[in-house]
Amino acid sequence: MTQDVHGFTQLSHDLVTYVLYLCVKIFPGLQPMMPGHKFSKDGSKQALLNLTQDSEKGGGYIFEFDNFSNRNVCRDFVGKVLGKFQALMSSKQNEQPVPEKPAAAIHGEQLSTTEMEHRMKLLREDSELQKLHKQFVIGGVLTESEFWATRKSLLDDDAQRTSKQQAGFKSAMLADVRPLTDGRTNKVTFSLTPEIIHQIFAEKPAVHRAFLNFVPSKMTEKDFWTKYCRAEYLHRTKNSVAAAAEAANDEELAVFLKNDDILANEARRKIRRVDPTLDMEADLGDDYIHLPDHGLPQDGSKETADAENDIARRTLSQDLNRHAAVVLEGRALDVELGDTRTVAEALARSKRAVSFAETSDEKTNQERLKRVSRMTEIEDLQAPYSLPYAPLCIKDPREYFDLQQANALKAFGDTDAGTKPIDCSLSTEEAYVHLMEQISEMKVRGLNNPVVQPEAALKVLNGLNQYLSSTKYHLGKNPQESVLDRLPNRTKDELMHHWTSIQELLRHFWSSYPITTAYLYNKVLRLKDAMAQIYHKLQETKESVQSDFRHQVSRLVQPMLQALDAAFAHYDTEQQKRYNKSGNKPNGFVQ
Amino acid sequence: MKFLIDDVTVYFPYDYIYPEQYEYMVELKRALDARGHCLLEMPTGTGKTVALLSLISSYALARPSPPLKLLYCTRTVHEMEKTLAELRLLHSHLPPTHRSLALGLSSRKNLCVNPIALSSASRDSVDSACRRLTASWVRAAAAEQPPGAVPTCPFFEAYDRAASSGPDAVLLPPGVYTLGDLRALGREKGWCPYFLARQMIRYANVVVYSYQYLLDPKVAGIISREMQRECVVVFDEAHNIDNVCIEALSVSVRRQTLDGATRNLHRMAQEIDRFKATDASRLRAEYNRLVEGLAQRGNLALTDAWLANPALPDDILKEAVPGNIRRAEHFLSVLRRLVQYLKGRLQTENVETERPVDFVASVSSQAGIDQKMLRFCYDRLHSLMLTLEITDTDEFLHIQTICDFATLVGTYMQGFSIIIEPFDERMPHIPDPVLQLSCHDASLAIKPVFDRFQSVIITSGTLSPIDLYPRLLNFNPVISRSFTMSLTRDCICPMVLTRGSDQLPVSTKFDMRSDPGVVRNYGRLLLEMVAAVPDGIVCFFVSYSYMDGIVNSWNEMGILQDVMQHKLVFIETQDVVETTLALDNYRRACDCGRGAVFFSVARGKVAEGIDFDRHYGRLVIMFGVPFQYTLSRILIARLEYLRNTFQIKEGDFLTFDALRQAAQCVGRVIRSKADYGMMIFADKRYSRHDKRSKLPGWILSHLRDAHLNLSTDMALHIAREFLRRMAQPYDKAGTGGRKTLLSQEDLEKMGEGVMDMF
Repeated sequence: MTQDVHGFTQLSHDLVTYVLYLCVKIFPGLQPMMPGHKFSKDGSKQALLNLTQDSEKGGGYIFEFDNFSNRNVCRDFVGKVLGKFQALMSSKQNEQPVPEKPAAAIHGEQLSTTEMEHRMKLLREDSELQKLHKQFVIGGVLTESEFWATRKSLLDDDAQRTSKQQAGFKSAMLADVRPLTDGRTNKVTFSLTPEIIHQIFAEKPAVHRAFLNFVPSKMTEKDFWTKYCRAEYLHRTKNSVAAAAEAANDEELAVFLKNDDILANEARRKIRRVDPTLDMEADLGDDYIHLPDHGLPQDGSKETADAENDIARRTLSQDLNRHAAVVLEGRALDVELGDTRTVAEALARSKRAVSFAETSDEKTNQERLKRVSRMTEIEDLQAPYSLPYAPLCIKDPREYFDLQQANALKAFGDTDAGTKPIDCSLSTEEAYVHLMEQISEMKVRGLNNPVVQPEAALKVLNGLNQYLSSTKYHLGKNPQESVLDRLPNRTKDELMHHWTSIQELLRHFWSSYPITTAYLYNKVLRLKDAMAQIYHKLQETKESVQSDFRHQVSRLVQPMLQALDAAFAHYDTEQQKRYNKSGNKPNGFVQ
Repeated sequence: MKFLIDDVTVYFPYDYIYPEQYEYMVELKRALDARGHCLLEMPTGTGKTVALLSLISSYALARPSPPLKLLYCTRTVHEMEKTLAELRLLHSHLPPTHRSLALGLSSRKNLCVNPIALSSASRDSVDSACRRLTASWVRAAAAEQPPGAVPTCPFFEAYDRAASSGPDAVLLPPGVYTLGDLRALGREKGWCPYFLARQMIRYANVVVYSYQYLLDPKVAGIISREMQRECVVVFDEAHNIDNVCIEALSVSVRRQTLDGATRNLHRMAQEIDRFKATDASRLRAEYNRLVEGLAQRGNLALTDAWLANPALPDDILKEAVPGNIRRAEHFLSVLRRLVQYLKGRLQTENVETERPVDFVASVSSQAGIDQKMLRFCYDRLHSLMLTLEITDTDEFLHIQTICDFATLVGTYMQGFSIIIEPFDERMPHIPDPVLQLSCHDASLAIKPVFDRFQSVIITSGTLSPIDLYPRLLNFNPVISRSFTMSLTRDCICPMVLTRGSDQLPVSTKFDMRSDPGVVRNYGRLLLEMVAAVPDGIVCFFVSYSYMDGIVNSWNEMGILQDVMQHKLVFIETQDVVETTLALDNYRRACDCGRGAVFFSVARGKVAEGIDFDRHYGRLVIMFGVPFQYTLSRILIARLEYLRNTFQIKEGDFLTFDALRQAAQCVGRVIRSKADYGMMIFADKRYSRHDKRSKLPGWILSHLRDAHLNLSTDMALHIAREFLRRMAQPYDKAGTGGRKTLLSQEDLEKMGEGVMDMF
């Protein structure tokens, strides 16, 4: 069932919508299959997006796009949509069919796709959350919005992180366009892509300005770039005489060959905010030896610039420095590369914004001074700086809970663990004397009749042995080891699950008070039922575990039950109050 | 922390101190006690500057009379800023009752706050713009005319008014003032920071300024003239001090200079005619003054001071200006003849080398100018320009250069030579005649400093071999010591790379350097390293031209593009502004984690004083051995002089000079013992003992035998190992019996131990 959808290539924008439509339409119907998508690399020959429905059968759709940016939008979206369905599907595998899009439908809440998307992602990443979600939201105890309302921070936090990543400039020097010759004719070919053009604009402000000035009023874009390439070629061949001649004839061409005055101004501005411990320009102003013709000539200092013709002697080093500076600055451009004119204008806008931001430099000056003083200090000769730290955040409350439990258990074990406190404070001597006494007594009385019944003795002995071995086994380990780890896995999981469920329910329960609306009243009712269920389940668990662990389990369950009891008690008193109130009313509710 | 060295309480701005810093202070204190000069080599990265400042400040506090003043000389302005920042840190730890005044001094260009003068580009034009507003005759004219008719500098006028009520009115409160602080203060109070600073150095306890302010007689004559004998002079980073000294007394004359001088003379002749017509009395007054001698130099107005005589103060004769140049027009004609003579000499086809004696004799016979006239040229010109009320001194630099040359040639018979080259050796087809007066004797310029001040301290990370410096500079140090570095862990890793990955030798020897195989091997080395080493990497090349060549070749070969995949590339260029910005960007790239490579030149401006410590430089690669250009005539003449006077062999001196440059370059990577860095010497010649042994001891002690003859892949392996080792946590205080960090208690214990011994 492969369908090639060529012929859509011209419909650039509509196509995006179309692909989305396809995705949404087709994939939900094909439940057992795991759809995937592949795409060709940026910059390869064709912009392809391949949607496969089934990796084994190989059914799918191939879309060819006319440019990469559209493809990328599609690709990103399809990726998201697929992720969402995968999450849904995995939850379907062990659940009875539940209504699709559960939450939004129930509460009539309008969710944007991205929001939806985001929640799906969170669920997918956190299996525990997913389980809870399944249990309560899909089980109908909580609504979707109620469920997420307590996790707002989770949503916000991630919303910031998932902002679209901006790609910076490529490290490669694209602006250094190399001409291609075909070898047979004298023709030289330059090829420029939007990426290259953007980099040229960023690195050569004079070209950028010329473009804004000349195109399209004075010449077409093609003419402009032809001229630019011609100038580049002249520069590359290092034919300064020809360059000068051409520049004299053609003032537009001259723009490309001249010194870049914008860059010079920028440099002058930037040099003022440079770290004073780096400022070598200040040196030049101080150095009395470097009067003209004083001192010894240094290597290379003879290269005096030709002041007569202002054809720039642009060197590779300058280009490299400029390029690296631009890459470092990064790209603050939010338009799609493509139309040169819009790129040029957007760049001009962003530059204005930057220069505007730079005007407040009082603070930067302060910061610079602080940096300098920080730099001068020798770090290991003094106490380390108090580094900025993140506040403690208990990632997994379970561990914390376990630890508390273990401590509690230890405390219990000392006082009323069921064994009598044995006074072990006897010295060896005393013990020996005591033993001797016993033996001598035995000798006198003889072993005529057994002290205890053999069966009873065996039972006690076994019991003791078991207890001893188990406590020995437990107590030998470090106290940080979780009590839970000793329980059978199934019980442990069950308990954990109950614990998180109870937490979730209680959180909602307590946050619903005071009850002001009918909605809240209903919610509390629902919650109470759910809690009651869990209460029973807990009791069952407690009963079902082996005798060995019953004690520990019951101790673990205790706080949960207490918490639930408290909730129930609160509910009952509230209910009572409510009842009394309504009872007092002359025209109360009909009961 | 606070501790005692003998009877001096030393205030140190940190909680701990390195043992070598302590020893350094002990030695320094001995030198100060003995009131003698000393020579101390201590590795970079052991906090030399702070130890020095801390001890001298504490010493001055302990011995309040006579007040001891510290003159701290740095190579560059940015080093001055660094020193002042350290000083500021120290000051916050001194007892509050003992706060002293410390300030940096620089030229008008770096201190001026007047927007009109500041708009000029170069130092000289700022100077002359300042003179146009503040010269005594300009101010006199402004006082006569209605306000606003003659522009003056409001900052200077305000300062002058404040200062006229006595020096206390403008005395700065104690503290540390960087150039930026002085400017800010000037703006705030409306005073001229430059003249304020000039005035304040008399009262300051610590003055930080450039070498030239003491070594160059032209500058020292006006700035440092009034310093008392009770001064401690420190030359920091002094490994190149001999070069600074000889540069201070060297002049070269080109055809452009002579043409410019001719124009200047023409203009002066016009001025003289104008004065003759309007104000002949001025010229007559000048004549009378000259009869009495050049004593007027002492009581000039502060703003009229010009660069002083290039000859050293002791050599200037206290006698009247010779009669035949007293009259302005006669002096001009002498200068004209001199310029004409020099023009004639420049037209030679061959390289000529002459001693000053022969040159003076030939000037005398051909131009009719005797030695005494030559010697007075500079002062006579100065006087004439004052008389003619010339303010745009930047226009007159050419004639100034000629007179400078004449005075030097007329004063010194020994230790100089005059070399005339019709073209540059490397570009024989381009005629570029130049006449150079080059000084060979470094001791000449520094002699007055040694004579005048009670203690001169010469210190650097690289002064090996340490016995050579006293000979070159002709002085007797009371203490001369080289310290080693006690390391907590092996945090430096020097390597000698002799072969590329294809096992062929690499070198920048003249016959090998342009070999594409060597170029490629160097490129591969860099490429492997940028992929393995985090953050910053610095590369030093032997010269600008070599760097340009090799970077172009790498660009053609595609190696540069591959390097750029890993790190951003920045290059030092001849343009200081661009280099400064490149450095700034380099640091930002290292800060943000992007990582960068900096290409620089040994003997260049960056190698002189920029630190690449911590993440700014985890690896430094020295491509080649930075020998001087050995075919240079000046160098040949200097070597000859060294052989004849000090019996130093040419080869030895060249190797010494190259290796101190290399050591200086690689030494920039480490700043403290918590820091770490690798150093690769990429040239097969470093594996030879005679070369290697000239490296300073602290590098040699870490250069293992196994690291002496590496190829690229072996070096890469070692680098990876090293970086992994350095990433492990370690005990900062040092392990076992060797302590590498001392606390106050340790020092006290040490002190008691010493007591017990006695």
